[in-house]
Amino acid sequence: MVKSTFISFSLHVLFIIIAYYGLPLSKINDPIEQPIDIVEDINIGSQTSLKLGNLDKKQPSKNKKIDSKNPTKKNIIPPPPPTPPGQKIRDNKNLELKKKKEVEKVAQLIKKKPKLKIKKIKESQPPVVVSKPEKKIKDQKMQLAKGILKTLTKSQPISEETKKEKQKKSNKDVLKTIRQIVGNSNVRVAKTEIRLSITDINKIQNHVKKFWKVSYGASEVKMIITLKINTNTDGTVNSVNFFDKSLYIKDKFYRATADAARRAVFDSSPLPLPKGKEKKFENFLFDFDTSFINSY
Amino acid sequence: MQYISNKNKILKKLIFFILFFTSSCFAEDLRININSGQVDPLPIAIADFTGEKGKASETGRLISQVISNNLVSSGQFKAVDSAAFIAPPTSPSVRPNFTDWSPLGIKALITGSIKNVDDQQIEIEFRLWDVIAETDLIGLRLSVNSKAWRRVAHIISDEIFERLSGDSGYFDTRIVYIAESGPQDKRLKRLAIMDQDGENHQYLTDGSFLVLTPRFSPTTQEITYLAYFKNEPRVYIFNLETGQQELLGSFPGMTFAPRFSPTGDKIIMSLATKGVTDIYTMNLNNQKVTRLTNSVSIDTSPSFSPNGKKVIFNSDRGGSQQIYIMDNNGNNVKRISFGKGRYATPVWAPKGELIAFTKMLKNKFFIGVMAPDGSGERLLAEGYLVEGPTWAPNGRVLMYFKQEAPKDNGKSSSVNLYKIDITGFRETRILTPSDGSDPAWSPLLPN
Repeated sequence: MVKSTFISFSLHVLFIIIAYYGLPLSKINDPIEQPIDIVEDINIGSQTSLKLGNLDKKQPSKNKKIDSKNPTKKNIIPPPPPTPPGQKIRDNKNLELKKKKEVEKVAQLIKKKPKLKIKKIKESQPPVVVSKPEKKIKDQKMQLAKGILKTLTKSQPISEETKKEKQKKSNKDVLKTIRQIVGNSNVRVAKTEIRLSITDINKIQNHVKKFWKVSYGASEVKMIITLKINTNTDGTVNSVNFFDKSLYIKDKFYRATADAARRAVFDSSPLPLPKGKEKKFENFLFDFDTSFINSY
Repeated sequence: MQYISNKNKILKKLIFFILFFTSSCFAEDLRININSGQVDPLPIAIADFTGEKGKASETGRLISQVISNNLVSSGQFKAVDSAAFIAPPTSPSVRPNFTDWSPLGIKALITGSIKNVDDQQIEIEFRLWDVIAETDLIGLRLSVNSKAWRRVAHIISDEIFERLSGDSGYFDTRIVYIAESGPQDKRLKRLAIMDQDGENHQYLTDGSFLVLTPRFSPTTQEITYLAYFKNEPRVYIFNLETGQQELLGSFPGMTFAPRFSPTGDKIIMSLATKGVTDIYTMNLNNQKVTRLTNSVSIDTSPSFSPNGKKVIFNSDRGGSQQIYIMDNNGNNVKRISFGKGRYATPVWAPKGELIAFTKMLKNKFFIGVMAPDGSGERLLAEGYLVEGPTWAPNGRVLMYFKQEAPKDNGKSSSVNLYKIDITGFRETRILTPSDGSDPAWSPLLPN
């Protein structure tokens, strides 16, 4: 009870923190989401800077697509060369596929293949993106190594970019940290969600059954007797409390049978708790059902 | 702006508390269902009641012995031998060291003390402890005449029984029965009364006339019985408090026992007139007799339900002797026993959930119980002749008489009283000075 309350409490606190700090961040989230694309563009641009002139004319349509997505950013950032080497590969592959289509007669199967390839390309992009900042840093280092003036002359746009990059990075870091927090909390929740097997429960049930000595009068008890149990990790019972204390005072059959149930719990201590799942039994309930006595 | 920010803060706090409390409300606890156990006797230790200066007095020792016998005879308790006790008996005001008792498998402990108030009065104190939970369950102090120590022991037994089982006790009760003596052809039958454990035995009649089928009133300390005076059956009411008896009337055709109604203002009986045996009631206030059944068959041994609305009886109207149920005005007669053999002497349990009966099957007699609708028949005892079941006031124990198979060419055959708990696991013989039959259990004695 306490444990589950604590888990739910901590989860809700986390949720509230996210909600609390996330609300102002969500305003920044819009630009944060955009820089991811921009970073890609920049990286691609930095890689393909030498081929800009060649690819500018070839890729107006793709730039337009990017413009439609991020019109403002594109104005700030020099026109990026979106897909220089990849585009060629794609074109080549498309050509190859076209050839294959002509050669192969099974059109449907061939149609599926390019889709799969496109997916693969998309999947293969992220590692490229990851490697790009390193290359960029290397380029920057190379530029810095060439001379201070060069760096100074190019420092202004670079500094603006770096500021933006820093902002973007910081945003990205915030996102990452949030994701990490959320991710970690999920992991923590997953760790605390100890699942009990039927055999785990049966083992305890069979153990306690042996100690529950009831009188025939318990057949008069029409309700299930619930006891709140607190145990140590070694299975020893710390405390047993009656769930329905008012009925315990009022009903003499309930009282006598509840006492017998309490004796059974204390008598069965230590309980055979499943290994690694002891925390689950720190606080739990036993439902003692007297209906079996009617079969006597 | 500040107002908005404050408003937001309040809103956030509100959301937090709502979430917190709803989460705690819907938090699921691990629940383990225990749906079977043992209906076994509970190991109990009854320490000798201590006397002056902590020593066990002779009376204290006797009291603890009576309590022990009572609880064990119920079939619900197992008394641990006092020789195995590690710790000496302590005063009930002293919390016992439970570690001295729990290793012996003891679940409950009774400690008590006895103190002489004056020459006649004694003060008895006792406490019931839960050895496992290490707590006291009940404690009482009783001040009585020193001669009534046995009754105090019964009262204490009742208190302990009720606290540990939930059921009302039945130890502070009496049994009236027919004491039999002499050879089979000249059998002397006297009305006798005793405590439920066989002690305090007394004869109520001298044996000058034959007495049969005594029954206790459910409300007063009165007994109704059948006596043959000059070969004519008469119904008497005997008042145990005053010792006086009253003749209700002569019933030439009476075939079976009169039995009180739950309110005690009526008796129900079977009378044979013109070769037909039917069931009648008699109002004890105006002695008005009312006929309930009207058939050519033999309808006998009627018994009221606890609420007085129904009557059970046995009849051969279906070809063999079976148990039937009807309304208290004789309507809606319905057969409830359908098992093999013949059924007789049905008696409704005080709580109404069971009917005790005698069953005859393959030259054997059985005492059994069934639900009022005839379902759940269970046979508890068997013998050459077992008959006449009577319920303890709490409906958990049955008493009956058992006749052994005749010896010496039928010249001798002992008849004894037995009681058995409703689970059928513990049958105990009640020791009587002579043979005994036709027992009837009294209600709890008034304090």
